[in-house]
Amino acid sequence: MSGLRRAAAELLLGELRAHPWPALVGVLAIAIGVAMGYAVQLINQAALAEFSRTVNSLMGNADIEIRGPRTGFAESLYPRIARLSDVVVASPVVEAEAWVPQHKQALKLVGIDVFQAAQVTPGLIGRPSSPRLANLDLLGTDTVFLSPTALASLDLKPGDALTVQVGLRPVTLRIAGALPALGEGLHLGVMDIGAAQWRLDRLGHLQRIDVRLRPGVDAAAFAETLNAQLPAGVIASTPQDTRQGTASLSRAYRVNLNVLALVALFTGAFLVFSSQALSVLRRRSQLALLRALGVTRSGLLRLVLTEGALFGALGALLGLALGYVLAALVLRYAGGDLGGGYFDGVRPTVHFDAESALLFFALGLSAAVLGSAAPAGEAARAQPARALKAGDEEAALAKLRPPWSGLVVVAIGMALTQAGPVSGLPVFGYLAIALLLVGAIMLMPWLAHSVFSRLPASQRAVFHLAYARLAGAPGRAAIGLAGILASFSLMAAMVIMVASFRQSVDDWLQAILPAQLYLRASPGGDAGYFSEAAQRIIASTPGVARAEFSRVSQVLLDARRPPVTLIARQIDARQPGRRLPLVGAALTLVPGDPPAVWVSEAMVDLYGFRTGRLIALPLAGRSVTFVVAGVWRDYARQYGTVALSRDDYRALTGDTHVSDAALWLAPGAGPAQIAERLRHRLAGGDNVQYVQPGEIHVASMKIFDRSFAITYLLETVAVLVGVFGIGASFSAQALARSREFGVLRHLGVTRRQIGAMLALEGALLALLGVTAGLGLGWCIALILIQVVNPQSFHWTMSVHMPWLLLVQLAAALVVAAALTALASGRRAMSAGAVHAVREDW
Amino acid sequence: MEAPPREAGQPVLSLTAISKAYRNGRARVVLRDISLTLTSGEYVAVMGESGVGKSTLLNLIAGLDRADGGRIVFAGQDLAELDDDAMTALRRSAMGFVFQAFHVLPHLSVEQNVALPLLLNGVGRAESAARVAAMLAAVGLAGFGASRPSELSGGELQRVAIARALIHHPPLVLADEPTGNLDPETAAQVLRLLRDRIKAVGAAGILVTHSALAAATADRTLLLTSKGLAPHAPASPIGV
Amino acid sequence: MKHYFTLLSGLAIFAALAAQALRASPPTYPPVEPGRSLHFPRDHGAHPDYRTEWWYVTGWLHTDSGAPLGFQLTFFRSRPPLDEANPSRFAPKQLLFAHVALSDPATGHLQYDQRGARIGFGLADAITADTAVSIDGWLLRRGVDGTYFATLAAQGFALELALQPTQASLLQGENGYSRKGPRPEQASFYYSLPQLTVSGTVTRRGKPERVNGTAWLDHEWASAPLAVEATGWDWVGLNLDDGGALMALRIRGKDGGTYWAGGSWRAADGSTHPLPPDSIAFHPLRHWRSPHTGTDYPVAMRVQAGGLHLDLAPLMDDQELDSRATTGAVYWEGAVTAHSAGRTIGRGYLELTGYAGRLVY
Repeated sequence: MSGLRRAAAELLLGELRAHPWPALVGVLAIAIGVAMGYAVQLINQAALAEFSRTVNSLMGNADIEIRGPRTGFAESLYPRIARLSDVVVASPVVEAEAWVPQHKQALKLVGIDVFQAAQVTPGLIGRPSSPRLANLDLLGTDTVFLSPTALASLDLKPGDALTVQVGLRPVTLRIAGALPALGEGLHLGVMDIGAAQWRLDRLGHLQRIDVRLRPGVDAAAFAETLNAQLPAGVIASTPQDTRQGTASLSRAYRVNLNVLALVALFTGAFLVFSSQALSVLRRRSQLALLRALGVTRSGLLRLVLTEGALFGALGALLGLALGYVLAALVLRYAGGDLGGGYFDGVRPTVHFDAESALLFFALGLSAAVLGSAAPAGEAARAQPARALKAGDEEAALAKLRPPWSGLVVVAIGMALTQAGPVSGLPVFGYLAIALLLVGAIMLMPWLAHSVFSRLPASQRAVFHLAYARLAGAPGRAAIGLAGILASFSLMAAMVIMVASFRQSVDDWLQAILPAQLYLRASPGGDAGYFSEAAQRIIASTPGVARAEFSRVSQVLLDARRPPVTLIARQIDARQPGRRLPLVGAALTLVPGDPPAVWVSEAMVDLYGFRTGRLIALPLAGRSVTFVVAGVWRDYARQYGTVALSRDDYRALTGDTHVSDAALWLAPGAGPAQIAERLRHRLAGGDNVQYVQPGEIHVASMKIFDRSFAITYLLETVAVLVGVFGIGASFSAQALARSREFGVLRHLGVTRRQIGAMLALEGALLALLGVTAGLGLGWCIALILIQVVNPQSFHWTMSVHMPWLLLVQLAAALVVAAALTALASGRRAMSAGAVHAVREDW
Repeated sequence: MEAPPREAGQPVLSLTAISKAYRNGRARVVLRDISLTLTSGEYVAVMGESGVGKSTLLNLIAGLDRADGGRIVFAGQDLAELDDDAMTALRRSAMGFVFQAFHVLPHLSVEQNVALPLLLNGVGRAESAARVAAMLAAVGLAGFGASRPSELSGGELQRVAIARALIHHPPLVLADEPTGNLDPETAAQVLRLLRDRIKAVGAAGILVTHSALAAATADRTLLLTSKGLAPHAPASPIGV
Repeated sequence: MKHYFTLLSGLAIFAALAAQALRASPPTYPPVEPGRSLHFPRDHGAHPDYRTEWWYVTGWLHTDSGAPLGFQLTFFRSRPPLDEANPSRFAPKQLLFAHVALSDPATGHLQYDQRGARIGFGLADAITADTAVSIDGWLLRRGVDGTYFATLAAQGFALELALQPTQASLLQGENGYSRKGPRPEQASFYYSLPQLTVSGTVTRRGKPERVNGTAWLDHEWASAPLAVEATGWDWVGLNLDDGGALMALRIRGKDGGTYWAGGSWRAADGSTHPLPPDSIAFHPLRHWRSPHTGTDYPVAMRVQAGGLHLDLAPLMDDQELDSRATTGAVYWEGAVTAHSAGRTIGRGYLELTGYAGRLVY
């Protein structure tokens, strides 16, 4: 038996030596799929680990974290919490995100009471650099301790001055030391809490209280009890809640990337299938010989499967190495957020992870084994006696199955699009796409036969032969066809989805940027603001016809979800559509209605804030009832946005600060000129960011394109894999058809004619493939647009078909297929092929 | 529609001192000093042991391979002077082939297979259909025109191949071990049919075979050895 | 005196250094000058203008079974040299620290705990009207009848004590003006309450036990830090068995010799005798090396104070306190018995500072 096994191995090796390309392409595709999946996994793991390390350092060993809106909650809550009998330590925290004008970046500043923090978040206690001033610097009114990462990225050292912007003013702090316990990856500074309240304009307010409980107290139960007594909008949560929130932040995005990786794996599996199917076909007589020599049916099955597994293992190993390198490079040069913007300020490094490596290795292996299963079964089922004779190849693929099973799979896929998300993930949407794809591939032999057998008979030999071939051998045609279908439909779906998204964002930007000049108190962070005096100066500046101010902040509605953005701006309740890109009809308010809010689509999905509903929002520690007067599209924020009239906001909170201004200019006044004027008129006017809608538009589209960069990359890879697949499938077919070519040459068909026939076959096949692919791609795009996106990111978009691009892509693919077919036929048309018709010589 | 038989006795093919050697490691001469003349209506069998170069000889005659020395003249043309396209055109119009493994194209129907030479030679659709129908009837496959090759038996497949080889009235038919894959009874029927059809159109025919029984269906038999091509007297001629 | 520097070593700075570091408005501290008479109960309360202040209680206890225990509890107040213009309620204008320690020979080492906080929100406070200092539930307060109540639930043990005075306040130095160096501004306001009768509860490992004993309370406030010439000090406060009381201290110079010394002796008849610097001497009898910090402490001392000649023997050797988490110093603060001519004549506390390295400013 071992001799047999060796003989079998030699046979296979010989085959591999003779036709390495189809197998190699399959291996490469598996490698690419594994690499992508593993890299995405590694990058996310690194980013998440770093992020949760951040959360850990910031929360220390707190049992409970009490958080409120971004603007904070009244500090009087602190003694109330500290006095609770189950509370051992309550550590009050002030937070601000301040702009550092000199270095053009925002810096998170945390104000702590060292005496309390020492027992909860010891990592946040600075190490003074000067032994003489020692611990006093921990309490300094102008001292700050920076994390190593912040020191590095700001290029500062202890003893240097750090100037941050608060309101429109510069506030200069002295760097008194570092925060060595924080290690790498955390970009922040720590001050005394009193100093932070004073210097950062946070007097009277806290952003957080970290609580340690008496041993034995159940933190979750305590938080629940406490929540009933906390002011509106202030929420106690356990670190697990917070961590869960952090992880869920990027989960949908991460899953989307992983699905793309799985698509690559699927393509890989398909390529392995096509290369194996054809190599089994080609080796029919060899395999039959093995059977005749005494290899059992299951032995043969194992043999072909082993071969597939070998390809899979090879590809997976290659993919893991590739993925690791890719992840390292991405983390090094692009950071951990994969263009998604979820992990700002986190600089993780890659760490080999055995568990996910095993997972992706297994995935790669199974893809290849799965791809080999059908050909292996085919090889095992073949009758050795018949297979040993020539001219039997087509029998293997001759069975034409009725389309019912494919149709059923497609129908199930269609039905699944109606299902809702599973824990915030569009599981059924993805499943629907997979089923549509599989169903469509199952339908391909039937489609090929029905279409090609209806082609008009031609008196031109080349056409006649090509048509007959396509109609007569649908099984083979289907292999190439499925490759084209899969790669083109996915490509088309992505192109349609991205184009739709891009166009929708474009339209949206036009709608939300009606003014001619926009002012932001500081380019980043939340410490900059325009005071009432500054607002008056802006509004009264000559050349400013109209000024609208808005206050952007965040409120917390659910401890397990990221905060919701609150925008207080001038909105005409009778015509909210003039300022907000509304989706659907807005509610007409009648006197006596509660104040109105207009919410983003995410609020409807996540919190059920439907138009017409009365909802409660925490403002300034009180719960205020609002009516939802409309829903609008917000592509800028995934976790929900609530817009309300600034008058209502001011009346309810007394908060007069604003963060942004939109200016309509008087005739003849230019935006640049007005910006210059404001720079002089406003104290601290140099710190203000002046932008024109065009710049915002360009910058936003740039961000859009950057966040889709990885998608484009994956798309390109998918196309390349698809083209490789077509090539592999054609050349394998051409090899399998060498006898046919030999006969044709005997019958007096010229080389050119065979070439033309092959090119025509390739082109026709590709044409059918891209046509079907376009239809399928359109369906998949609709699922992406109407199921996956709303369920993952909670926003909708309108469908835009990028016809020109699609036609160009389709044409390119058809030409590529024709050329590939032609190229693959060259070898088959050599003299050797002619001899293939002879049984001996 | 039966084509009128050609005038017998016209020279169709002449081979003069052909040699062919394959270099495969050490040189191995396959054919040496082969001469043969074939006139229309003449049906010759070539016998020889395996590996003696029977197929190579056919390839040289079909213009699928080039001789190292000597001359091959077919239909008045020196094959050495023809380029691949001209040779292909010549093969298309003036030769018919029958193979051991039939090589009926599986994705074409029986009539499409038979009509292939007509299609390649530009014969109109109506004429082609009529000739194919007549030819199928002549080879005993009337009514099989729409069948798929996979539905046919080996003997039937070889009949299709014979029909395909003769449908365009080639002056020369080359048959390479046409009964190697058939049982003796079917083989006998096929050999008779082949001979009948060749004779019916007045073509010249070369039958390459191992089998003395098969060779006996030809007008004369030549023996191919490493020394050359020589007349062969059958040991026990049994008329078929 | 005493712990004065313990506190300063952690948080205080020379005013000049502080002024250099701070551009804004640092506080100005009132100087300690002779001639100010102390008024009670006002001077039992806090003196927030002064740079530093403490209430320091040490004493010997015995359980109902007669087992001896030493205890120490201290509240420090500090006004750090920081910009006081900060309107934040969290501004650290006044800081409070507390140390609590239990010397239990059955354990063999000092059990202690410490806390720090800024005064505010009612969570940490030191009022001015009378003694009432608290940090997050740790509390020392003087009742209207003069009895002190101390409640400190520490890690591993808790004290719940009532301390009743039996004698009038012992004003140290010249009517409470206590000099700490050759220069007149090197001084503090300082009074002691010796021979306090203690009753209450000590809880160890969750088990409360009734205790009784005798204690000593110091209250001291000042604005000047330790002299640059000094490295640390030795201090002892003893309740004598005859009803008298002795306080003696010496400040050690960098050469190991005495930089300054002083003390007072209240005789059994109640007469008080200030002890001039040259009447005080400390002689180490035995050293103990701390396994925690590697510091050598002269835990047994021969003390000469005026006409008294005493040998001090520790209740146990390991009474070292590491307060680097709050006030910053590593020192030895231990219960001792005083012997004279082979006879025990009193009990009290010995404090040894500056042995773990000079106290850093």
